[in-house]
Amino acid sequence: MTASSIRLTVNGRPAGLDHVPADERLLDTLRWRLGLKGTKEGCRTGGCGACTVLRDGAPVLACLLLTHELDGSAVTTIEGVAADPVGERVRAAFATAGALQCGYCTPGFVMALTGLLREQGRSGSVDELLEDLGGNLCRCTGYATIVRAARLARDGLP
Amino acid sequence: MTSAVRPDSAAKLSGTAVYGTDLEAPGMLWGALVLAPVAHGRIRSVDLGPARAIPGVVAISSADVPGLVGGRIGDPERPPFPPKEITYRSQPVAAVAAPTREIARAAARAVRIEVDPLPAAEDLDAIFPEWPTTKVGDPGRIAAHVHARRGDVDRAFREAETVVAETYRTSSVHPVALEPHACVAEVTDGTWKVRTSTQTPFGVREDTASILGVPDRSIVVDGTWVGGGFGGKGAAILEPYALLLSRASGRPVRIALTYAEEFRLGRTTLPSVIRMETAVTAGEIAGRRVRLLLDVGTSLPGRDFATGYSIGFLLGPYRTPAFEVEGYAVRTNKPPFGPHRAPFAPQAAFVVESHLEEVARAVQLDPTTFKARHLWRDGDRTPFGQPVVSFGLSRALESARATADHWRTSAPPGHGVGTAVGFWSTNTGAGGEARVLLRPGRLSIVQGEREIGTGSVVVGLAQVAARRTGLPVERIEVEYRDSSQAPYDAGVFGSRTVGALGRAVDDAIVRLLQILAERIGAPEPATLEVGDDTIYVVAGGVRRRVPELWTAEEAASGAISAEGKHYGKGGEIDETLVLDGAFYPFTDFTGAAHVAEVDVDRETGSVRLVRYAAFHDAGVVLDPPNARAQVEGGVAMGLGTALTEEAIWSEEGRLENAGLLDYRLPTLGEVPPIEVHFVEGWAGAGPFGAKGLGEPPIIPVPAAVASAVRDASGAHVTELPLTAERVARALKLL
Repeated sequence: MTASSIRLTVNGRPAGLDHVPADERLLDTLRWRLGLKGTKEGCRTGGCGACTVLRDGAPVLACLLLTHELDGSAVTTIEGVAADPVGERVRAAFATAGALQCGYCTPGFVMALTGLLREQGRSGSVDELLEDLGGNLCRCTGYATIVRAARLARDGLP
Repeated sequence: MTSAVRPDSAAKLSGTAVYGTDLEAPGMLWGALVLAPVAHGRIRSVDLGPARAIPGVVAISSADVPGLVGGRIGDPERPPFPPKEITYRSQPVAAVAAPTREIARAAARAVRIEVDPLPAAEDLDAIFPEWPTTKVGDPGRIAAHVHARRGDVDRAFREAETVVAETYRTSSVHPVALEPHACVAEVTDGTWKVRTSTQTPFGVREDTASILGVPDRSIVVDGTWVGGGFGGKGAAILEPYALLLSRASGRPVRIALTYAEEFRLGRTTLPSVIRMETAVTAGEIAGRRVRLLLDVGTSLPGRDFATGYSIGFLLGPYRTPAFEVEGYAVRTNKPPFGPHRAPFAPQAAFVVESHLEEVARAVQLDPTTFKARHLWRDGDRTPFGQPVVSFGLSRALESARATADHWRTSAPPGHGVGTAVGFWSTNTGAGGEARVLLRPGRLSIVQGEREIGTGSVVVGLAQVAARRTGLPVERIEVEYRDSSQAPYDAGVFGSRTVGALGRAVDDAIVRLLQILAERIGAPEPATLEVGDDTIYVVAGGVRRRVPELWTAEEAASGAISAEGKHYGKGGEIDETLVLDGAFYPFTDFTGAAHVAEVDVDRETGSVRLVRYAAFHDAGVVLDPPNARAQVEGGVAMGLGTALTEEAIWSEEGRLENAGLLDYRLPTLGEVPPIEVHFVEGWAGAGPFGAKGLGEPPIIPVPAAVASAVRDASGAHVTELPLTAERVARALKLL
């Protein structure tokens, strides 16, 4: 197995990664190499959305990406999302709407919604926005408060 | 007095909240379990050699832990490892630890297990070939038998104008908390310490101590934020293995389940077959017969609790003059039966409600009218003779009926509207203790439970303290201690956290306010208020800062403390009705009536939920936003039980859909808007009249959806979940 150096920008800072095995997943790089455990490990098969992060601003599932595929990319995680005005608005909306219970799906939802709102702004419809959140599972809230948070965050965009 | 923003928001929205899956320790090894390759078999050998040959690997099996064969209850089917006989596929038969996750997985695969397979029993119908007569094919498969009778049931049926008899089936559902089980254990100098994500730190302590054959106090359980539990995180599943691996390696050891393991090894509510018979005379229920076969998985004979508990829900919240109930806990080669949010109550409500709807139709009565006429009201007794107290379900049903009638007038063709009720008993019988610390600027609640998500710990306990003291909720802090430091508590389950632990908190605060009044010399208990950013104690017209009232010892510790406890007493049932086995009383009565509108595809049988309304008797609601959120979440989870969730076991005991792509949870687009209403006027036994609300919201959902499906299409489906295939079969499309 080849292992080599990867250059990533994570939450705005360069992260030099050495000896990265070819089969290492971005999820494990973030959590166990960089200690950024706010990105949650759920199913590891792309089925739950808990590990959603932003790659160059767009939502991706960290469990399905190999770190080698990301050489040169910029990655944003829940730990860095507050630096993004849209991300901060989304976090505030989640708090106001009470859109979290156990909190395990929360970072994934915040990142997915942040990425989608960054892409669409207020031009996309609410229905499209909610449909695009369909890959993130929540077992506690029944999504009702998350939908409220999504509307709140979208409506508050400039 | 409601909290605008949950106090756990900041930690959970910044990624700093540490869950079980996030745990690590310096020098840690990664553990993995070696799972049984067959559902039933005799172990010939477990060869750890190939695993141990991998550098850095520690491996253990039954031979390495002599004498540990199932804890103080002597259950050979409990951890750590079965010495001779495998009783379910995925039963752990060995465990390994290694420097990395990948090496640990490779080492687990390298362990060689030789097994002589034995015939597995998975199917209830095969064990009871002549069902609904209860002649059992293999008596060794019965873990428990419960039987009770009241009145002259045979006569009620003999003289009945109408008898309706049906058979129902329910499927296996898994809690699927998004966070899989995970822990890190470290054994040092005779202390067995484990950090873990659990609903019951003290339960895990007792379980683990029992399994390892050590005193309770030598185990220290330290909780994390819990990434969902729903009943699945109530027992010690990984902790004993992690501790044994730590002892063997001299290093901290982490074990986390993969999702596939979570499905295969985690506890699930297992399938059932239920026979319902009802005798009606002059529009009234004259007699009921209920027979239950409940798959309890691998389980020792005589050690079943689930059957006597579950069968209590199968009579429903209805007056029943004469009845006979009989249940069998059936041992199969599946993992042990486990709780799943209101264990078996949603399944029971589906059966009772669907059946009584069928009965009402048979005697040409409106189903809701028929149910309302028989519903328990205050002053009634349950079929087992327990007085019904402060039970607002009939008011909830009245409100639900009005909504259902209204929706029917606007539902388009092809849609149907259904109504169903469910009831529950807040488990305030399980006890707990708490300590409060009054500091100069805040009041701390010191206790042993971690927040599971409902808000019952971080919001609920704080609300109780705020109401009793008069302090704003921002001045109250819920503090957590590990099991060696915290006062004992039974756990976060049974919708009991506010109802039982909350009462311990309330008791501690009442004592504190008495102590403070005595120090001031006032006859009435003190109250607390805030001024100049400090807490004032007020009693008998006197106002004092905390430091003016504390002793030298308290000054050194920085707080005035008081302790409280609540060890509740459950209700009592009429034991003269019990012919065999054990039945269980209810404690605090709670219930809900739900309304569902669905759209049924008349070509495929697929069901779409269009809108939903829930009417709950939750006693006095302490925190309306969280109470509403709890109902919304419970309804969505119930929608999974109703329509899509079904763990499918093969005849060889293999779980065929051990992953989220095949075991389908409701997604965002499938959950419609949910109206939430609370009926008021029926105070519970909890603090300030609260009743538990963790479990009730899921209970009526499968029944309400089934009722709506029948209204929409005529399909009378008698098996959960209501998949498109089952609906299509009921419509004779297949």
